[in-house]
Amino acid sequence: MLFTPVFSCYRTVQFSYEGESIVGIAEFFQHLMNGLTLGGIYALIALGYTMVYGILKFINFAHGDVLMVGAYVGLFLFDLFRGSSPLGLWTIIAFFIAMIISMAFSALLGMFIERVAYKPLRKATRLAPLLSAIGVSFILSNSAAWMFGTHSRKFNYPFDNTPLHLGDVVITPHQVLILVVSLAMMIILKLFIDRTRMGKAMRATSLDQGTAMLMGINVNRIISLTFAIGSALAAVGGILIALDFKVYATMGTMTGLKAFVAAVVGGIGNISGAMFGGILLGLLETFGVAIFGIPTGLKDTIAFGVLIIILLVKPEGLFGKVEKEKV
Amino acid sequence: MKKSLFVLLAILAVLSFPAFAQGGGESASPKIGFMGPMSGDYANYGVLSNNSAMLAVEQFNAKGGFGGKLPVVLVTEDSEGRVEKGLSSIEKLSSSDKIVGLIGPVLTGTSFAVGERVQNEGIVMISPSATHADITNIGDYVFRTVVSDGLQGEVAGHYFYDKLGYRTIGVLYAKNDYSQGLYEGMSAAFEAAGGKVTIAEAFNVGDKDFKTQLTRIRSANPQAIYIPNYTAEMAQILEQASQLGMKIPFLSCDGFSNPDIYKLAGEFTNGVIYVGPAKVKESPAFSTFVSQYTAKYGVGPDSFATNAYDGTNILLAAMDKVYKASGKFDRKAIRDAVAATKDYPGVSGIVNFAENGDLVAYQGLYKVNKTTPEYLGTFTVVDGKLVQID
Amino acid sequence: MFNFFLLILIYSGIYALMALGQNIITGYGGMLSLTQAGFFAIGSYATAILTTRFGWSFWGTLPVAFLLSALFGLLIGLPTLRLKGDYLAIATLGFGEIVRNVLNNWDSLTNGPMGIQKIPMPILFGYTINPYKKYAFLIMIFIFVLIAYLLFQRLARSRMGRALTAVREDEIAAQAMGINITKYKVYAFILGASVAGIAGSLQATFTLSVTPGTYTFMVSVMVLCMVVLGGMGNFKASILGAFIIQLISYFPQLTGLSGSIPAQFQQILFGLILVVMMIWRPQGILGRETRRYGGAAGNGKGGAQ
Repeated sequence: MLFTPVFSCYRTVQFSYEGESIVGIAEFFQHLMNGLTLGGIYALIALGYTMVYGILKFINFAHGDVLMVGAYVGLFLFDLFRGSSPLGLWTIIAFFIAMIISMAFSALLGMFIERVAYKPLRKATRLAPLLSAIGVSFILSNSAAWMFGTHSRKFNYPFDNTPLHLGDVVITPHQVLILVVSLAMMIILKLFIDRTRMGKAMRATSLDQGTAMLMGINVNRIISLTFAIGSALAAVGGILIALDFKVYATMGTMTGLKAFVAAVVGGIGNISGAMFGGILLGLLETFGVAIFGIPTGLKDTIAFGVLIIILLVKPEGLFGKVEKEKV
Repeated sequence: MKKSLFVLLAILAVLSFPAFAQGGGESASPKIGFMGPMSGDYANYGVLSNNSAMLAVEQFNAKGGFGGKLPVVLVTEDSEGRVEKGLSSIEKLSSSDKIVGLIGPVLTGTSFAVGERVQNEGIVMISPSATHADITNIGDYVFRTVVSDGLQGEVAGHYFYDKLGYRTIGVLYAKNDYSQGLYEGMSAAFEAAGGKVTIAEAFNVGDKDFKTQLTRIRSANPQAIYIPNYTAEMAQILEQASQLGMKIPFLSCDGFSNPDIYKLAGEFTNGVIYVGPAKVKESPAFSTFVSQYTAKYGVGPDSFATNAYDGTNILLAAMDKVYKASGKFDRKAIRDAVAATKDYPGVSGIVNFAENGDLVAYQGLYKVNKTTPEYLGTFTVVDGKLVQID
Repeated sequence: MFNFFLLILIYSGIYALMALGQNIITGYGGMLSLTQAGFFAIGSYATAILTTRFGWSFWGTLPVAFLLSALFGLLIGLPTLRLKGDYLAIATLGFGEIVRNVLNNWDSLTNGPMGIQKIPMPILFGYTINPYKKYAFLIMIFIFVLIAYLLFQRLARSRMGRALTAVREDEIAAQAMGINITKYKVYAFILGASVAGIAGSLQATFTLSVTPGTYTFMVSVMVLCMVVLGGMGNFKASILGAFIIQLISYFPQLTGLSGSIPAQFQQILFGLILVVMMIWRPQGILGRETRRYGGAAGNGKGGAQ
């Protein structure tokens, strides 16, 4: 609300380029808002991705599908708890209970998948678990389509989602929530990994499994734990995204892929990198086409193109560590 | 290594044995095929239409089938919405199942490839939803129970200009064949009438966030926005537009006749005007179909599913006619019988086929009041002029 | 039924070409590339556009498809050499998505999401190779696969194959031995890309219509699966992998099971088989082709890890 007068008096001012108006100030800030919140969604998923990735160094293709399962579980539980009560404190509590149960369920699912499909392949080539993960992804998404149907389901907002107007710029409470949760999650994860004993064990496992084991770390448990945390994060992401994007069997695929790209660009295994990569991708997708009048259908081209260029300039990702190679 | 390979092949051989055995003892029941995307991103459209085909076949067989004794068998194949898989599906339907008619494919892209193939094989094909103008020009075996983009777009463009009085329209469409076809059809008619499409924004299949496009449209400030998309995307667009505080009226297409839209978008649908199937006056057929369908499958049919139901019934009626006359199911004779369909009282309206296999139909205009569509009238375009039928 | 089996063989052949290309990049070069779909699309569209718009014959478009995808292989190969492992995977994945995105949006050239139809059948010495009839087409595809296989096999045993193997095993050591890493990596990329382009060209002339929806990221993933499943660094295995993946994918249709079990079940089955196969033989069915240098080329002693 503070910004209202500023925005309104600049309403008519245009950014211009060779006399041709490109985008108004209000539109610019609206795009910024849209980009940030879309980026928040990517960041939310990228955080979970980067957790697993940092430890095991393989692309967990099934992450997006765990997210989808988490969203379905959350949806069913929320509808069950809520019944027909109107928006209010109870719906918010019901939402949180549903989310916590869904997180627990997804954590178990993640651990189960790891145990069955990835653990036997820990010593195999790096590509073997990748294929196994693709198989798991097929199984999960098609099972969901078979059990719950192929149509999208609405996940009702547990709170009043009336948009807030900041002058001509609009933002919904849900968008704010997404940004806040992804930021909070990033900070908690960082603290967990940097400051706790368990986090230290994770870092050790990530560096060298063999040595970690020699140091008395139960590597199997650490990996299980990583999957549990990563999958629980996926459930949170899934539920929050579902509020806006609805729940359907393939919801994890494309968003998951983009989140993964974001995680890599941020620097593999780097928590703040994942967050930053996600926000960056969101902004790129929005601004890439918004500012220069490029047809919006080409937004993926712009986003991926810029990401490739970033990787070429910084081959280890934005926040990645440069690893010295030894013979 | 050799051993494991051998084991693998042996397993495959054993698994395929029942199928080989089954191939021998063929029953006299004729088979018809359904093809559509049953898995993947477009699965919902395939599944809904397949439900209709199953319902029609079940009802037909419950009445005794052909000549009161011979039931029809429906074989469903998944096209995954890909040309490659569509071709393998038609190969299987045609060479393994020896179908005498095909309902589908659902998507335009696969319909082109499959259409060429059925034309070559001489199997009649009735698509419930392939809207591209050129589909029926493939040949005389290709029919559809959906109006072409051309007609729907034409009615839409003229109606928006003549009746609603819009002069500038913004469009938000998906980069898929259905959505883009409608956008092109509408804008051609609208601009020919004298209007102007001031901004046309696209998004890619799988996108769920349309705020960038909507923000740009909001800045261009057209009098109305046309959103010819599939149901789930339209719900998304309406909701996000309201989040952006957009008050511009929305116009839409037959994707809006899927009742799911009201579940997904709720009250955001209020005020939307859309072009859909023409309503059949004083016929309970449609509501009977909807209630039977919903009771059986738990979800309501969309307009494609309604078309698929008519398509299946037309095919079965044609087969019945041929069977009564000749005692067998000749593909050519069935094609001729389908082409000869005249004033078929379907659930989506009176069905007639044009010379090229296109559906001859009127279009209905609807306006949504809160979450209930209200009928505005039946229209068609004759010689570039909008004509109201009733 | 038999006809359907022929169809599987044709699809296997087309994918086998892509898998051979992937194998030289990933199996020999050790680079995780996820972009075969992009080159596949470029080849397909080159053929589709040149035949339908400019009236070229299929045979005339083949070299164009080949050169065009080789050019893009060079363009993407040169800069991305700076990238390793999964960073490379993401860059190449991005390239594949860009190709599809551009094809889908460049309406004036590619006809956008509608795709291009009525691609003419190839004619050889006055004889039309009709994809509906399959036999002639199958023979044509197999000639292509055979040529590609023999060429790659020779290549693998040449200086280049040895150099690539050395680079894969240890880049720094290879460099110390005087191997020009950049040169061989780019070669591998160009070769891999150009066969995928040929595969695309064949695909277009088999399906007789192309739509951008065919060339998704999943195609690249499937091709990678074929190489890993067969056994990396083994060209025979790539072909076998292509055949097995296609057989599994189309198995329900081949046996007629697809009519009686839900479509999602078929996909679930596919996923299950993938997981089980990987756990059962993580090194691939045939495993890496090992060879003693200096002596007679030894044959695949797969299984040894």
